[in-house]
Amino acid sequence: MPSVSFEHVSKHFGEARVVEEFDLEVADGELLVLVGGSGSGKSTILRMLAGLESVTTGAIRIGDRDVTTLPPRERNVAMVFQDYALYPHMTVRDNLSVGLRLKSAPKAEIERRVSWAAGMLGLEPLFDRKPKQLSGGQRQRVAMGRAMVREPLVFLFDEPLSNLDAGLRAQMRIEIGSLQRRLNTTTVYVTHDQVEAMTLGDRIVVLADGRIQQVGRPVDIYRAPINRFVAGFIGTPPMNFLSGTIDQSQGTTAFIADGVRVQLPGNRAAARPSEPVTLGIRPEDLIVEPGGEGGGPPLPDVLRGRVLLVERLGGSSHIHLDVGPPPHRVVAAVSNDVLPDVGASVTAHVRAERTHLFGADGSALR
Amino acid sequence: MRSVRRVALYGVLALAAVTFIYPFLWMASSTLKPPSEVGSLSLFPGHITLDNYRKMWERAPFGRALLNSAFVATTITAAVLVLGSMTAYAMARLRFRGRPLLNAATLAVLMVPGQLTLIPLYTVMVKLGWIDTYAALIVPYVFNATAVLMLRQFFLQIPQSLVDSGRMDGMGELRILFTIFWPLAKPALAIVAIFTFMGSWNEVLWPLLVVRDQRLMTLPQLLTVFALGGGAGSIGVSLASAMVLVVPVVVAYAFLQRYFIESMAGAGIKG
Repeated sequence: MPSVSFEHVSKHFGEARVVEEFDLEVADGELLVLVGGSGSGKSTILRMLAGLESVTTGAIRIGDRDVTTLPPRERNVAMVFQDYALYPHMTVRDNLSVGLRLKSAPKAEIERRVSWAAGMLGLEPLFDRKPKQLSGGQRQRVAMGRAMVREPLVFLFDEPLSNLDAGLRAQMRIEIGSLQRRLNTTTVYVTHDQVEAMTLGDRIVVLADGRIQQVGRPVDIYRAPINRFVAGFIGTPPMNFLSGTIDQSQGTTAFIADGVRVQLPGNRAAARPSEPVTLGIRPEDLIVEPGGEGGGPPLPDVLRGRVLLVERLGGSSHIHLDVGPPPHRVVAAVSNDVLPDVGASVTAHVRAERTHLFGADGSALR
Repeated sequence: MRSVRRVALYGVLALAAVTFIYPFLWMASSTLKPPSEVGSLSLFPGHITLDNYRKMWERAPFGRALLNSAFVATTITAAVLVLGSMTAYAMARLRFRGRPLLNAATLAVLMVPGQLTLIPLYTVMVKLGWIDTYAALIVPYVFNATAVLMLRQFFLQIPQSLVDSGRMDGMGELRILFTIFWPLAKPALAIVAIFTFMGSWNEVLWPLLVVRDQRLMTLPQLLTVFALGGGAGSIGVSLASAMVLVVPVVVAYAFLQRYFIESMAGAGIKG
């Protein structure tokens, strides 16, 4: 039985349709990540599951219970908020225990659960402090502890790492992941950061304009994005896109644009000749080599261009290329072995077998 | 040069302070002077006496009036804080039909001068049979639009996630208000309390209209009747009764001034 299910859930604020026909099942113990840009509806979905926002149409179930109209306290879910939402006037101990005290849990039980959560998160030394006296990471841990002591059926995380600096964010991401695996509690996690989504999620739901774009394992979404939006959203640096048409004149299917010809592998049955299409190339699927000046007919699977910018990231680098005409800009992710100078002419070999093709409406052509 | 400017600045400030504090100190010291000295502008009585207080106490029921004032002002203040914060919470945090209208209506109430509602309100009191009762002194003041708007403004600054978090933890709206918002809104509650208490404590006109029984009179009312009616007999006794009126407010202010100044400063910064 799924732990959480959304059945045709929609949310409208007056005329604005924030979530449309959201249909999804979350498996027991799964960590599901909702990812999307701002206005994609991801937080609204989470808040509807929490009971903080009403549902316009559709139903939400937790286990076998229909919770669509239940208030938050009757849903047995716990939430970690973006700003942690710790009660500023209460100590860490009180913040952890307040939910249980409100439920009139026995004192011994409260004590046991609070020490258990505090032990797991290393919060004991902070018990008598107030939130103001804690660092960002400590507040984050207290917020997680407060959710844990309730031993809920479902954990909800609403962009919990977005207020932390980069280093702490990476550390807390690992902590949340390992904690979730240890507790094995069903978790719905909302983020706009696709790196968090890729690294944390058992499955990812990519959202745009209140609709599901794609649901799947992170690696599947990365390898086979269902449309141009997903292809551009998942992956850093984002996928490169070239506009062109399909050519089937030589017995094979190829993508052509000015000065570019990329042989498409397999039988892309969905692609029709002369149809405007977009070719997607991941930055790591471009192999940059020096040289390649001059005109001549386009070489298969090669982009010729000039280096606009080299971003050295330490272990690897991003090379920004101008591969016009017409001015096309692409980014290649390369190792640091040989880096071209800015302004140098280079050729970029395309791993044609790993390219993606999108039709005029943005959907993937396979 | 800087030190000269500083001295000049402090001189001007000191002069301003003296002009404010002198009348109060003069009143305080004059209550301790015998009748022959009351006319003098000196702040130091040549001969200290408590006669003025003794006479005041003998001539009118000031003890009872003091208790009446304390009861009325405390009840009104408590009611304004409880009812005002409940209304403010609803206006700031609950979604319901007609909320914008309620906000506008509350604001509109502020624009109606109190004098305008005096007569209709008096008529209502007569119809209810509340003349010469505590209800007439208290009930018309338990709901205060200024307090609601001030608290609403403050509540709007409290993050919504704390409300959400409270709801997830199983709190009802009243519990969120009293266990989360109240502790966080102490400065705003303090300033509302001070203003309400002072306003109610100093109110003369309304008690004069609805209370004629001397046993129900509040302190400023009794003082007015006493001093203007010639009951005091001397300036010293009048001043002594004024002193009794002023001291509780000064004491309250001394205790709460931290909040008072904080919230004034805060109001300035946050606009």
